[in-house]
Amino acid sequence: MIEYDSANRPPAVIDEFIQLIHYRDLIFLMVGNILKNRYKRSVLGIFWMLLNPLLQTVVLTIAFGTMFKSSLPNYAVYLLSGLLAWNFITQTTQYAMGAMAYGGGLLKRIYIPRATYIVAAVGNGLINLLVSIGSLVIIILFLAHPITVAWLFLPVSILILTIFSLGLALLLSTASVFFTDTVDIYQVLVQALFFLTPIMYPASILPAELSQVLALNPFVILIEIFRIPIYTNHFPDFNLVISAISLALITLVAGWILFTSKADQLAYRL
Amino acid sequence: MNNIAIQLDNVTVRFRIPHEKIPTLQEYAIRWLKRRSVSFTDFNALDNISFSIKQGETVGIIGANGAGKSTLLKVISRVIRPTQGRVFLRGRIAPLLELGAGFDYEMTGRENIFLNGAVLGFSRKEMAARLDGIVEFSGIGNFIDAPIRTYSSGMVARLGFAVATDIQPEVLIIDEILSVGDADFQKKSAARILEYYNNGSTILVVSHNPNSIKQLCTYAIWLEHGIIKMMGSVDDVINNYSLSLV
Repeated sequence: MIEYDSANRPPAVIDEFIQLIHYRDLIFLMVGNILKNRYKRSVLGIFWMLLNPLLQTVVLTIAFGTMFKSSLPNYAVYLLSGLLAWNFITQTTQYAMGAMAYGGGLLKRIYIPRATYIVAAVGNGLINLLVSIGSLVIIILFLAHPITVAWLFLPVSILILTIFSLGLALLLSTASVFFTDTVDIYQVLVQALFFLTPIMYPASILPAELSQVLALNPFVILIEIFRIPIYTNHFPDFNLVISAISLALITLVAGWILFTSKADQLAYRL
Repeated sequence: MNNIAIQLDNVTVRFRIPHEKIPTLQEYAIRWLKRRSVSFTDFNALDNISFSIKQGETVGIIGANGAGKSTLLKVISRVIRPTQGRVFLRGRIAPLLELGAGFDYEMTGRENIFLNGAVLGFSRKEMAARLDGIVEFSGIGNFIDAPIRTYSSGMVARLGFAVATDIQPEVLIIDEILSVGDADFQKKSAARILEYYNNGSTILVVSHNPNSIKQLCTYAIWLEHGIIKMMGSVDDVINNYSLSLV
């Protein structure tokens, strides 16, 4: 028989994990429902997941493609591969935060693991990313850009991005419950960072002083780790991989510790 | 000791109420800089509550609005953890106050059975095995594959009840008069609760109506301002509670 003893349970860091495993089917259902609800009443339905990045790329390529013609051949591939990594991280975190700050009502009514919404948001983002890679392949084939053995590295890149996004989502969601402003502050930051990260333009156009500062932008590492195997067709170098993995793991550990230590207060605060 | 279903030892639930609401980081920072502190009032929704309930007992919880009834139920159903003290619970709890928690009105009845089941902690496999029984008990019939936004509120409640009570919980929490659906369904749901009671489920009844508690329960706990004003046999407690109302 199940027993619940509020005074005698595993440390929060472990307990939340055990509970998530127990409630895994809830997470899968939530991910499925986010997708279903989003496209339920649209004619093209799930195809929007493919079309959206395609259209975005076409528009941006028309606008900026000629500017970087010499430095970035097959600009559309460069752009979309960077954009996919960027969108995955930012959309996932923003969605998770919104789900916690505004949709956490269920957490006040009935017990479910507090991280459910956040993990579901990351799962949803991951599906979006995988489908969008389909659009990327369409563009690559269209431009006859090579697909090489370096693609084998992509699962590792995606794993790193997922770990980082989950960590960041946990950090920001916790913050957003205590201070609603976090949502708006993050939105402004994301907008600024988008232009400070070489996604639409090559890193080489930045002045030398600025590119040193840019090296501190964690998003650069994460985007590179995803874009290099696709665009440059070689495996990312060892140092880059190590820094990306460290960044992702540190973020997740920090996020998990912060979130689980505050999880009990969430029902009081939401 | 072995047949304890619910036990609370010195449970305190404290809500922290800022004197003025400080909704933004900016204001918080300004206050913090100015006075280096933000003033709060601590409010004990439950104040040092202790009791234990044996398996199979039917206990009424009575008290005025704001006495702490909802907080007590939340702390028992582990929605909130006590600020101090210990809550111990043996068995699965079915909080019938929260029927259909997590229902998604865009989804069909069938999809919602799985969703609601998952919210209650059941796996997909378990729910698949119990699907037919739930659909039948709910009496939703052909509407089961329609989105529940097309349901009447009674149908939604029936579906929620059918999911929550499909297998016998060790602890049931019910509202004073459990009125789900039409007269037929009320009979059906009452029969199911009675069956679980006869099979040994512990039942908590929350109410501010003394009569319904008197009918259903053998023991009663009277809450007032977060403390136990009185507890014991239902007659004693209810008599005193009724006198206090006059």
